Amino acid sequence: MYLGTDLLAAWGLNLEFGVAGVANLAFIVTIAAGAYAYTIFTIGSPTSNGNFQQYVGGFTFPFPIAVAAGIVAGAVVGVLIAITGLKRLRQDYQAMAMLVVSLMAATVVSADTHFLNGNAGLVIFPSFAPFSDQDPEVQRWAFVGIVFVACAGAYFLLRRFTAGPFGRTLRAMRDDDLAAQAIGKDVVRLRLAVQAVGGAFGGLSGALLIAFIGGWSPSAWAYIETLALLTAVIVGGMGNDRGVTVGMFLIGILILQGVQFLNDVPALKALESYVNRTGLIHDFGWIVLGTLTIVFIWLRPQGIFPERRPRYGGQTS
Amino acid sequence: MELLIEAIGFGLAAGAVIALGAVGFSLQFGISNILNITYGSLMTLAAYIGLFLIDRGVNPWATLAIAGVIVGLVSVGFQRWLLAPLARRGTRPFAIVIVTVSAGVILQYVILAVAGPETQSYGDQGGQTFHLLGITLAASQVAIVVLAVVLMLALHLLLTQTTLGRAMRATSSNRILAQSCGIDTDRMSDVAWLLSGWLCGATGVALAITTAGFDFSIGQVFLIPMIAAAVLGGVGQPYGAMVGGLAVGLASELAAAYSNPAYREVVAFAILIAILLIRPRGLFGAAWATRRLMA
Repeated sequence: MYLGTDLLAAWGLNLEFGVAGVANLAFIVTIAAGAYAYTIFTIGSPTSNGNFQQYVGGFTFPFPIAVAAGIVAGAVVGVLIAITGLKRLRQDYQAMAMLVVSLMAATVVSADTHFLNGNAGLVIFPSFAPFSDQDPEVQRWAFVGIVFVACAGAYFLLRRFTAGPFGRTLRAMRDDDLAAQAIGKDVVRLRLAVQAVGGAFGGLSGALLIAFIGGWSPSAWAYIETLALLTAVIVGGMGNDRGVTVGMFLIGILILQGVQFLNDVPALKALESYVNRTGLIHDFGWIVLGTLTIVFIWLRPQGIFPERRPRYGGQTS
Repeated sequence: MELLIEAIGFGLAAGAVIALGAVGFSLQFGISNILNITYGSLMTLAAYIGLFLIDRGVNPWATLAIAGVIVGLVSVGFQRWLLAPLARRGTRPFAIVIVTVSAGVILQYVILAVAGPETQSYGDQGGQTFHLLGITLAASQVAIVVLAVVLMLALHLLLTQTTLGRAMRATSSNRILAQSCGIDTDRMSDVAWLLSGWLCGATGVALAITTAGFDFSIGQVFLIPMIAAAVLGGVGQPYGAMVGGLAVGLASELAAAYSNPAYREVVAFAILIAILLIRPRGLFGAAWATRRLMA
């Protein structure tokens, strides 16, 4: 389940970063946008909830419309992010701007309690609308089914983007945007477009995620979550959809879930009780993740499955 | 009116700290063309080193100097053994930023694992209060403003009056040309990272002295106004960063005084976005800086 939504997000990020070379360290914000949009479209008006959460709007739309709203919100936010930093800046400069955008978005949302209930976040009661009369176990599996279908659909769409002419254009832009410009490609518009598509993936991922877990707050989308996705993209292989899928499996299972198994390692357990801190093992997960990213950039920047170079006729150097 | 004057006072104090950090950040970028996001976590590291020393009765100002030296050495090591080799292998700038982000995360969580998530404090380091022209500031705030001014002056003299400083500036503006003039550019990088690392550490401790309490995310949060200041002044331009720091400090304290204090960072952010949209090279950015940023 988590793997599914993570996969959606990682594909979106790969499209932006791996294929199009857009350094989006604020990707998590599009996921957040999707999640909040979904919440607002299903939660009902504030008064009907006894006013214990404050937020803008509040409707009760059925599941598909709310998910669609999440997708649109993700895309819109993706474009907004793009406008701030992607005009003509150098890649690492963009990355820095994006990082700040991510930090700031979380700060703004936490600070303003009237907008999206601030730091406390929003809680909905997860009722998988189409199956709300079934028993919980069935609901959960039905939901996994929905996510699976969404993933399959998204992957099909993704391949159309990355493997088709559009993908080639994006790669050209990534490798040399001056050259791309010279043959008449509008680089800025392409970047905005790819941000919109990537953002839509993020929004879909966020909407499905919150529909399942039922709560969302700024601490759930710290900038560091983008790093987890980024690690998946780097480890799997930038620009290779299949590689990223494998990368997400590895990161999702080994690190994000694997951290839980570290609880069974006696030495770490002893250490944790020695310093009298729970959560130490969770922190350890982030340390492993960061190290993995650096090791891969150092040793194998192309990832486990490198991007396949298309072969054209004739001699290539 | 009183509110305004008070806000200006706090703005000056905040601006001094921001300027210290932003100058170090700019110096690093100017000389090695690397945007070092680890800077934030290194400030956190300095704050915790400071906590360790102050708890053992070391004078706060000595602490500031010592933490600066430690962070300076760490920075040099980080640059020489991780970032420079990566750059030599032709790693793309974006990947290097990812490396610095990752390193920052690692450091941040190591600090968290060692020191715990509790909010820490140096205790009251305010000292007596001063009143000047209606501005009320604690002695520590005054001292930090003075310290910032002195350090900026010293840096200015270093950069303009000494051979070392001139060599550093030469390296910053054109590395290859500097090399062919017989400047040991690798050594210049080390010196610059040591200096900026020292500034980074000093900023971390100064920040911890002036705030009531801090936790392991202090550096990460402070990174926003600092980057805003550096960008406002033109990244790679130490003088711009000084002015930028003051401007960001004043603007955010004024905003905090007249609206929701939680919006302090938001103002810094708004400045950053506006600058990126209107004038990406910053107020004082030179044409060469623009060329480098718009690749």
